Amino acid sequence: MKIEKAKEQRKKQITVGFLYETGKSRFKLRSLTDEVGFENKITDKNLHRPGLALAGYVDLFRYDRVQVIGNTESKYLKSLSPDRRMHAMARLFEFKIPCIMMTDNNTLDDRIIAAAAEKQIPVFSTSYETTKFQYFLADFLDDQFAPQIVVHGSLVDVYGVGVLIVGRSGIGKSEIALDLVERGHRLVADDVVMVTRKGEGILIGAGTDLVKHFMEIRGLGLIDVRSMFGIRAIRYQKRVEVIVELEEWKSIRDYTRTGLDDQVIKVLDVEIPMVRLPIFPGKNVTVITEVISLNYLLKHYGYDAAKEFAKRLEGVIGQKTKGNRAIEYFEHDFE
Amino acid sequence: MITRTVTITNSAGLHTRPAATLVKTAARFQSEFTILKDEFEINGKSIIGVMTLAAEQGSSLELRFDGPDEQDAAAAVVDLFERGFDEE
Repeated sequence: MKIEKAKEQRKKQITVGFLYETGKSRFKLRSLTDEVGFENKITDKNLHRPGLALAGYVDLFRYDRVQVIGNTESKYLKSLSPDRRMHAMARLFEFKIPCIMMTDNNTLDDRIIAAAAEKQIPVFSTSYETTKFQYFLADFLDDQFAPQIVVHGSLVDVYGVGVLIVGRSGIGKSEIALDLVERGHRLVADDVVMVTRKGEGILIGAGTDLVKHFMEIRGLGLIDVRSMFGIRAIRYQKRVEVIVELEEWKSIRDYTRTGLDDQVIKVLDVEIPMVRLPIFPGKNVTVITEVISLNYLLKHYGYDAAKEFAKRLEGVIGQKTKGNRAIEYFEHDFE
Repeated sequence: MITRTVTITNSAGLHTRPAATLVKTAARFQSEFTILKDEFEINGKSIIGVMTLAAEQGSSLELRFDGPDEQDAAAAVVDLFERGFDEE
């Protein structure tokens, strides 16, 4: 299974009940309408502030999003007479709103709450202030609706760099992962890696709940890395930073010789550096994988060995002293 | 590429032993073999992958074969499912 061809999936909806159950302590939510409308569907990761809709302008009103009534809206509502307040809210309730969130512990008149409940619109209150609450909730919804793929490969944290090893079945991904673990690196997932896009440019990989840190080694069967190597050998999630694709050596393939031509691969629309690694018996792929990680780190900190060498070469071209020994004169200690 | 849909008939579902039989059978062929269940897409030659599906009796799987020997691979794998992995 090629990583580019992996089928992208994402949640189409979550229920308000799920949001409440998962988020009530995290977002300090309490329900003002009991369990009314818990089966309402949230289908959009974005939030909406219904200020203009409250004032009567409902064109382009994104009623299908979670509605956040912040301090501004609450202050505005309080400035109205009770009847006009009821009227302003009732106008919102005409729409199929998934739920309403009141920030800063604000609430609504009892009869407005009752009207919301009658329309099956749940109303929640949080003690967080609006900006903070929107930040938390948007991040949560972004994660819930994030695109995801299942990758057949091994994800290992090598010197803090998330290296995803891919390649055809039986080429030795798990063996390399195991070798890396033995050298003190940390396994995230083997064989089934769930890759999720976080925000715009970050990929996070994790294993599945069932498999966790089990792996299959051909000829041995299933092993549990966590019980065998202990807690230091595993982690639950890691950003995917480099992809290493293993393949049988093909003499016709044009493998990079300098590293100047950086290769990238697009996964879930995020560009990730990729190294295509030819393997053959006797080649120590584990050490090369470590070097790939270290090289990635060096580049991250601004040092690109290939470019540095190219620069040095350009400096020497045209000079008379070409091909000299690194040391001009060997003195007595032969270091 | 060819696609087949199969249903799991044996009562214990796709547990460890049938999963092992399945990946061993699939590994005999060169073709890529992918299984789809509930939007979950895994490599059918990986035992961990197949077990991740935790497919129970009655569940339906979509099988995809892609490669030079896809016909033979499909026939061999579908046969396993039809025989219920020789289980009850």
